[in-house]
Amino acid sequence: MKQNVLAFAVALAFAAGGALAQEKTIKVTGFGAKTGPVRSFGVNSEAAMRAAADAINKQGGVKLADGSKAKIEVDYFDDGCNAEQGISVVRRIAGSDAVIAVGPTCSNVAEPLFGILQKKVDDKGDSGLQFPIFTDVAIKVGLAKISEWAFRNVPNEATMYSSVFYWLRASHPELKTVYGGVEEDFAHSRASWHVVMKDRAAANGFQVLGESKWLLADTNFATQVREMKKANADVVAISAHPFSLCGALKEMQRQGVKPKVLVGLTSSSSMETLEGCGKQAQGIIIPTSFAPVTKEGQAASQATAKFKGAADLHSMAAWENMFILKQVMEAEKISGGKNDLQADRRKIRDGLAKLRTTQGLMGVTKRTADREADKPYLFVQAKGNSWVVLHNPL
Amino acid sequence: MLDILQAISDGVLFGATYALIGIGFTLVFGVMHKLNLSYAAASVGGAYAGLLILKVLVGAAPWQVFLCAFAAGGVIGYLVYLLCFHFIPLANPLATLMSTVGMLLLIDEIIVHTTEGMPQNYPAMFDDVMLRAGEFTLRGDLLLVFAISVLAMILLLALLYRTKLGLATRAVSQQPVAAQLCGIRVGGVNAATFIVTGLLGGLAGAMIGASVGTLSPLLTTPLTVKGLIVTVIGGLGSIPGAIVAGLLVGGFENVLQLWRGVTERDLYVMLLLFAFLVFRPEGFFGRKAATD
Repeated sequence: MKQNVLAFAVALAFAAGGALAQEKTIKVTGFGAKTGPVRSFGVNSEAAMRAAADAINKQGGVKLADGSKAKIEVDYFDDGCNAEQGISVVRRIAGSDAVIAVGPTCSNVAEPLFGILQKKVDDKGDSGLQFPIFTDVAIKVGLAKISEWAFRNVPNEATMYSSVFYWLRASHPELKTVYGGVEEDFAHSRASWHVVMKDRAAANGFQVLGESKWLLADTNFATQVREMKKANADVVAISAHPFSLCGALKEMQRQGVKPKVLVGLTSSSSMETLEGCGKQAQGIIIPTSFAPVTKEGQAASQATAKFKGAADLHSMAAWENMFILKQVMEAEKISGGKNDLQADRRKIRDGLAKLRTTQGLMGVTKRTADREADKPYLFVQAKGNSWVVLHNPL
Repeated sequence: MLDILQAISDGVLFGATYALIGIGFTLVFGVMHKLNLSYAAASVGGAYAGLLILKVLVGAAPWQVFLCAFAAGGVIGYLVYLLCFHFIPLANPLATLMSTVGMLLLIDEIIVHTTEGMPQNYPAMFDDVMLRAGEFTLRGDLLLVFAISVLAMILLLALLYRTKLGLATRAVSQQPVAAQLCGIRVGGVNAATFIVTGLLGGLAGAMIGASVGTLSPLLTTPLTVKGLIVTVIGGLGSIPGAIVAGLLVGGFENVLQLWRGVTERDLYVMLLLFAFLVFRPEGFFGRKAATD
């Protein structure tokens, strides 16, 4: 009797093993901040990736070169928005059976991370990491050009702010001057003011009167807001993340600084801003590459919510990335076999490089030669407890 | 000139919160000769816990939030004592230092995971009041923060110099073995010190939240650094020193920010610390090591 039970158990184990072996999987690993003050970026991106993978798998998965289908398996690692940790995490992912990594969430991680990748594909003199990265959140301008293994699906802030200031000029010709507020120690916000907003405002005929600087974790904004008050500009553009944005907005309220128009940073068009200082943020205008205005966008938002994430311009890029990757994997006919891992990674890289357009949740995204995205966008404004669409420039 | 005066007054008023944080560091050091590096994080944690009252009592007044933060700070202070000091061998100076670093990170992550890192709107009193004398202004809420901080410091000094607990605390601080021989329960005094500093920390966290208007886990590390600077400049173990140094650092950094900009501001605060370490290592009111 004991022998029969044992034989049955062994047979069952083999049968189960066989069944598992038949179900192929393709691993896509995400990474980003899941600890620290910007944890919400990682939480939302992971939820969006898992929701997108779930939707793809429900449709059968990814078609492989041999005609079979593979399910997408998502893993997600925490880099704590820290460059060293991010590099270590990516080396670990590259050492696994993941075909590509989606991330990071922070530009201060993306910049050095792209630096360890091989600069030019097939350069035998460059021993950099040959592993494709498809960034969803890290938004600082122009990073993908660092390596041909780096791709991004993040909004083009230069285009967006150019459009914002162009629209302000056209719709409010009485506005003449701009003053900046910049979070000086964060890669994204710093670059967004100094490289993008300031330049785009001037290019659209605004006189830039100056800027006040503060740090990400500052607690006292009195001096900076006094400078802002003295400038008495028509438009105040604040390139800062929600915490310091809120600190500055509250100080502006105390000192009675009321610009005619307030412009904010893309990353601040989130619930964090409304949670931290909804009252003071009323009316702020921010360009964003996502708002749930299309059927696809609404469905993606709902699916992401089921995985306990919020839909915003960052997390919905992660959703889009998963569908773009499915399309590329199928077009490039990856095998999904363990022995072909490096070849599959190369195929995915080459497939991503070939893309000229992709389908996003807000419409068609153009891909640029330097592996960046030119995404559709619109302007949202804080009203009550939500962000409402103010203008669609496209 | 007016700009400098304004920067000094803004900085000194906000420096009252640095002083409260510095007092917490210095009191524990004075009594146990240990650094509690989790103190600023626990203070911010207390301030966050104060917001819980808004979940229970919708529309609670700011003073109720402050009171809740004050009480929560005391509870967190006691927990920090239990987890980082009570069961840790005190003879090894590194053990408690590392356990409090661990606690700092733990509290930080608890806040981050509970709030998803989202900044939380923090209530303030008199935040719409601005006293004006021509171009010169004083924030009403910061004046309140300053007043509450000064009151808290006076109460703390009264506790230390006018009560039996204060007497026991000072005895343990000066001669722990002799204090024990006199029948003072050293463990109990240490625990009470943590509760008192925790209460003060909860209040400091709430005052910081009220003066910024928003709370974020981003605050814990800079406040830890500021608290340590204040403690060293004021003199390790000296409460009056922490008060003076807190106000000084607040004013100094604001003037330097006006003069040299935000990117150089902290550099000069560090230089000030360096100057004290070299030329006056005992700080304003600390005891000289050689005379101990």
